[in-house]
Amino acid sequence: MKNSITKLMTILLITATMVSCKKEDAAIDTTNNGSFKVYTVGNITTVQNLMGDTILGINPTTFQPYGSGKFTFFNLATGQLVANTDSATNKWDIAFRGITILTNSGNSGPGLGGAYVQVGVFADVTKVSSDSTFRVDNAPSYAITTGSNKGWYVYNGANNLITPIPGRVLIVRTATGKYAKIEILNYYKGGVTPAASASDAIKLSQQRYYTFRYTYQASGSTTF
Amino acid sequence: MQKLVTIIITLFIFQQIGFSQKDSAIVNLNEVVVTATRSERKLGNVAVPVSIVSEKNIQQAASLRLNDILNEQAGLFLTSGFGTGIQMQGLNPDYTLILINGEPLIGRTAGVLDLNRITVGNIQKIEIVKGPSSSLYGSEAMAGVINIITKQPINNNYSAGIRYGTYNTTDAHISAATKFNKLLVQVFSNYYSTNGFSIRPNSVERTVAPIERLTNQIQFNYPFSNKTKLSILGRYSYENIINKIAVTNTGSTTYSDGIEKHNDYNINPILTHQFSKKVNSALRLYHSRFKSTQDLSTNTPNAYNDYFLQDFYRAENQTDINVNDKNSLNIGTGYIAENVRSSRYDNKDNVKQSNIIYGFIQNEFKANNKLSFIGGLRYDKNSIYASAFSPKLAVHFKSSKKITLNASIGRGFKAPDFRQLYLNFTNTAAGSYSVFGALEAQTQVAQLDKQGQIQSFENDYYKLAALQPEFSTGMNFGAKFLLSNNTFIESNIFRNDIENLIDSRLIANYKNGAQIFSYLNVKNAYTQGIEVNISHKVNKNITLTSGYQYLETADKDQIELIKKGLVFTKDATGVSRKMELNEYFGLPNRSKHMANIKLLYEKNNFFFNTRLMYRSKWAVGDKDGNGLYNNNDEFAKGFVQLNSSIGKQFNQISLQTGCDNILNYSDINNLPNMPGRTFYISFKYQLTKKTKQVR
Repeated sequence: MKNSITKLMTILLITATMVSCKKEDAAIDTTNNGSFKVYTVGNITTVQNLMGDTILGINPTTFQPYGSGKFTFFNLATGQLVANTDSATNKWDIAFRGITILTNSGNSGPGLGGAYVQVGVFADVTKVSSDSTFRVDNAPSYAITTGSNKGWYVYNGANNLITPIPGRVLIVRTATGKYAKIEILNYYKGGVTPAASASDAIKLSQQRYYTFRYTYQASGSTTF
Repeated sequence: MQKLVTIIITLFIFQQIGFSQKDSAIVNLNEVVVTATRSERKLGNVAVPVSIVSEKNIQQAASLRLNDILNEQAGLFLTSGFGTGIQMQGLNPDYTLILINGEPLIGRTAGVLDLNRITVGNIQKIEIVKGPSSSLYGSEAMAGVINIITKQPINNNYSAGIRYGTYNTTDAHISAATKFNKLLVQVFSNYYSTNGFSIRPNSVERTVAPIERLTNQIQFNYPFSNKTKLSILGRYSYENIINKIAVTNTGSTTYSDGIEKHNDYNINPILTHQFSKKVNSALRLYHSRFKSTQDLSTNTPNAYNDYFLQDFYRAENQTDINVNDKNSLNIGTGYIAENVRSSRYDNKDNVKQSNIIYGFIQNEFKANNKLSFIGGLRYDKNSIYASAFSPKLAVHFKSSKKITLNASIGRGFKAPDFRQLYLNFTNTAAGSYSVFGALEAQTQVAQLDKQGQIQSFENDYYKLAALQPEFSTGMNFGAKFLLSNNTFIESNIFRNDIENLIDSRLIANYKNGAQIFSYLNVKNAYTQGIEVNISHKVNKNITLTSGYQYLETADKDQIELIKKGLVFTKDATGVSRKMELNEYFGLPNRSKHMANIKLLYEKNNFFFNTRLMYRSKWAVGDKDGNGLYNNNDEFAKGFVQLNSSIGKQFNQISLQTGCDNILNYSDINNLPNMPGRTFYISFKYQLTKKTKQVR
């Protein structure tokens, strides 16, 4: 009896260790429930709760939610936010507003940016395709296509939730022509998608908080 | 006079024998069924899976509407959305043909025929045939056929009843049958009303709206001679639903008020003639009309008005020939014309039409006392889409008095419906998306493009083509064991392979970002499983019955994608990984396990029953966004429903009371039509004047 309890305890202990190991591998801080945070483990940088024009209210005539209408700019090399006043410079690489993600390219900015969406698991994407694969922004169409199930997210009309499509890696060329691979992890505050049955008020107030992780190649290398 | 007395006495004796036989065996394998072969066959001799729900089952379960009683049958899964539909062998409600006295009921919305529309007050029995039956019935009979057989008139039979229960649910009926010379007339009327209910606290919206329903039926039977008989069946039903709808879209709520009305009638003259002892022929004419209107006013400037009118006409002849001792043949041919007008299409004054000419043939070959084969095929030629050819082959083997084995393989099809062909719908409330039927899509989108409204075309736009019927190939292997007079076991293994499934696909995008959809033949799926039914008579008074279905379903194309490593899922932190095949759950809204156990106690004129139904969890939402249903998606919890009823008969009066959903189970999100615990009491008066029993 005592023996079997010991065995059970050992199994439980091993399982617990394995679970915690797994969490460390993913290197996502699950305790962060809403604050903007950037941290790097190995060559993977994780950005949590980047606010991409969060919702301020509902337009009483069109019933559409609205924010300030401004993009939030981000520099992949420094891992920092960039002021809106620098939107016409090469200081930013990507920018977020609602479900729209800009690259510093085309009619979005003066940079050498561009992007394409690769199907696969983040860790398995090790090579950047040829330059011809990259698209540039040409608003209202973007290098990272908007629209449900077309680029990085899927919109569920039944419960109004936005979910990043599993197995989609954004390959981004930065403003200075370097490469990065990005995986969008979540679109809601704290990195947790509200329940399908949650109220619209919750779904609206919690959305447009990006959590993503990326690997940036400062050397300009096309492999990760 | 003496002769008449002899006949009555003989009839009486036979009846006694009949009764005693019925009483002694747990199932009556001599009961005649008609749906499986479109001709009268003993239940024990039918080569395809058939089950019967008797009038007694319906009454003892105190069912009011068709869905109430089907909910208690093994392997039938009720769906909600556009009314209550039925899922058979894992196939959607679109693929089960619902007949009343052998003629199809019409008026489907999004493929679903709302079973609530049908009262069970005047039903003699319901025959349920599982597996493709298009070889006899044509379109829609892909998963199977449910045939509602109304009571045959019996002279001088009068009955009236009323039931009252929770939510002011009232159901009353009256029926009478009498003879004027040779003409036998039966009338039946049923009235149903409920206040409806809301399982969401403080909601203006009722999950089941206040409803009033009226059904009237009339039947005339007139024998011109012993050999030539005419019957005319007429039915009218009316449904009035008070809508109070609250739609919350991006934080603001639109309230809509108004009335939804459904009217349908059908008329069905049948002339039968016996040409000789070996040749019988029936000419059946059928017309049915379904009309639906919904007029809502809202707190926004937009009112909502919906109009739908469907007419169905059919003429058919079937001739049954007993060629010799070994072969019996059924040959039929018919013509169907169908018209629809609807505000859901381009213009409600434009009539959409389809015509079908069909013919079928079936032969049963008795090789010997033990072995028989049934082969049949049907050809449907349609004016709009490609023709369909539906063969079927079945084998029946009576290995001993106790064991029979069946096997059948057949092809089923479903013609594209008017919605899939002609829909012209733009939702102005929710993001202005549009859905166009396959015949409309190209012209509509081209026109929008000319007006400069189209941003881009999707690949599927170029794949738009005339829709083809959806096809299935179904196999059923069954065995029946009459272990003793008290124990009967029946099992059936099934597999359905479905090709050419029609699904909606994104075909183009508006400049404002809204999407345009249409219908294409794109999907391939399968369903397979096993069904087991056991009946056991514990003693003279107690009977136990139990049913179970195990079901597996899958989208074949999704399985291919998973095998190719192109399907991913996410862990709780949002990190993606490849999805394994064993994580795939199959098609949504399907339970792997469904079971029921029913206990019946009967003594003299008293009965008590308790019925337990179980459904395991089913997938309802794609949580991880990969477009299919896997183990970490959203599921509705499995649940148990417990119903019980008690009744006693005093001469001509029956009293009954009961409680449904005793465990008070509810699930606001996934079972909106299921109220909490409800109670009812019913009273019925039946008078049959004993005269010679002539049908």
